[in-house]
Amino acid sequence: MRRITAFHWSIVTAACLAMFLLSPLVLSRYLVFILNLLAIYALVSIGLNFVTGYTGQISVGHAGFLALGAYFTAIVATKAPYLPFYVILPMAGCFAGLIGFLLGIPILRLRGFYIAMATLAFGVVISQIALEWRGLTHGDEGFKVTSAFIGSFVFDSDKKLFYLVQPFAIVLILAAHNIVSTRVGRAFVAVRDSENVAQTLGINLSWSKTSAFALSAFYAGFAGGLFAYVVSHITPDSFSLTISIDFIAMIVIGGMGSILGSIIGAVILTGIQQLLGSLPEIQMLIFGVSLIIFMIFMPRGISGVISSLATATRAGKRLSSEQEAGEKGA
Amino acid sequence: MLIHVVISGIATGCIYSLMALGLTLIYKATEHVNFAQGDMAMLSGFVAFTFFEWLKLPLPLVFCLTLLFSIGLGLAMEFLLVKPAIRGPHFNVFIITLGASIVLQSASGLIWSHDQFPFPSLFPDKNLVLGPVQTDAGSVGIIATTLVLMLILFLFFKYTKVGTSLRAVSQSHRAALLMGVSVRRSFALAWAISGLVSGIAAFLIAPVVFLSTQMGLVVINGFAAAIMGGWGSFPGAVIGGISLGVLENVAPYYFPPQIKGIIPFAVLVGVLVIRPTGIMGEKRQRRV
Repeated sequence: MRRITAFHWSIVTAACLAMFLLSPLVLSRYLVFILNLLAIYALVSIGLNFVTGYTGQISVGHAGFLALGAYFTAIVATKAPYLPFYVILPMAGCFAGLIGFLLGIPILRLRGFYIAMATLAFGVVISQIALEWRGLTHGDEGFKVTSAFIGSFVFDSDKKLFYLVQPFAIVLILAAHNIVSTRVGRAFVAVRDSENVAQTLGINLSWSKTSAFALSAFYAGFAGGLFAYVVSHITPDSFSLTISIDFIAMIVIGGMGSILGSIIGAVILTGIQQLLGSLPEIQMLIFGVSLIIFMIFMPRGISGVISSLATATRAGKRLSSEQEAGEKGA
Repeated sequence: MLIHVVISGIATGCIYSLMALGLTLIYKATEHVNFAQGDMAMLSGFVAFTFFEWLKLPLPLVFCLTLLFSIGLGLAMEFLLVKPAIRGPHFNVFIITLGASIVLQSASGLIWSHDQFPFPSLFPDKNLVLGPVQTDAGSVGIIATTLVLMLILFLFFKYTKVGTSLRAVSQSHRAALLMGVSVRRSFALAWAISGLVSGIAAFLIAPVVFLSTQMGLVVINGFAAAIMGGWGSFPGAVIGGISLGVLENVAPYYFPPQIKGIIPFAVLVGVLVIRPTGIMGEKRQRRV
């Protein structure tokens, strides 16, 4: 059998990417909308994974960062209509990131459960502010978002928005993939596994945690900006405590400490949400039960199962080839 | 007028204290954080409602049956959710109880719908005049019930053998085990008592805020109260709860009324940023 080389893999990847980017030509408008939403949730889920999966600090308030990004984008796009989306979106990400950084400085000195409570409170306060500060956010009437544009081309349909959302999502996912394999990403994991060991190895604990939090908020804020463009009308209840818990469910089900897991989780939860859109009770019940079941039986989520299966197959192969070699030797 | 507001604040605060107390009980014995504490109270409330409205049982009988149910609920949660994950990090148990909270909420929604139901109060609906102070019997009833419950818990922990063994477990699992205390049974017991407290809380909360599936969110006020008083401290849970209740009721007098909804969260963030150990908390050295 010929070996599958890196070259073959790159061809396969390129083909998949091309198929994905051409998919709006054949898919329905609704499915394209779902793909956009999925990319956004995948970004938030990756962001949350930086903090929770990689660095081991739980956040129950990520909908707050999504809200910051979304309202920032909506408000800036209205007040400064001359700014193009590719300026506003990174600004939205950085704004959320900055807030995350400032919030992280005091709360990340605390232990795990306090962080959960502080972030929960943060998320709720943000959605309350969005509800009450009517002058800025229009309260529960919601905020109509000005469509994104390049020159005279306006992204005013789901299929056009696909080409706005997906390139950003792909770039950010690749960036996340690189970040976690660099020194910074490995420092996050070291902090999660043992703070004392990490500190002994010369990792600055509070700096690592705070930068993980800021990075995470950046991803959520950027995703929030994309969300504003995709749904085009944002209301405070898109950013409630339930949404923050949905994000946790995504990374628990998909797999903590894994970029692929974040995407799998986002796909599964968005899928369930769309399939059971008319039965919110059943949907919540499934989310709750799967949180419990995954945490008890598969704490590393689906990607954990995949990677342990892969390891097992590889080990099995090695074992059988060693046996063959042994038999030949005898 | 202000004194009336303070008294009803203390009554609200007592409810928060009960939530905080339930959380602290479990935390002290097992070091687990139970996010579903409020939803346990909510479910007990709905069970009581079913006994009362559908089966037309008399209120005292309903009270006793519901408390039995809440104890059973606490035991079931411990057996089904916490025991299987006991070897994992505490983080996992927190996520599991978060899941349990969602499950209880949506399952109750399926059975009883998300409507609000009026809930019978244990106390007569009339005004009381105590010297210059005028207040309603409901508030006094809530405060009295909470005080009695706290006294019972205090005596239980201080003077009974089982209570002493629970305190031993909360200090060191290993030392307690060596002294012949069954740590497993103590875990179950802590959950059972916590269930009981949540059941009593249900009877006090539901008449005030109406019975609905959203009632479980009171757990967040419980967390705010427990953290404000000093996480892991019983007197702290009580003091934190009462101060939070008073603060919440008095603040709308001086600030715009929208502030009431934000207070528990502002308190949470404020206390955690300024003094994470709370009012009564002592600084704990972390073990390696």
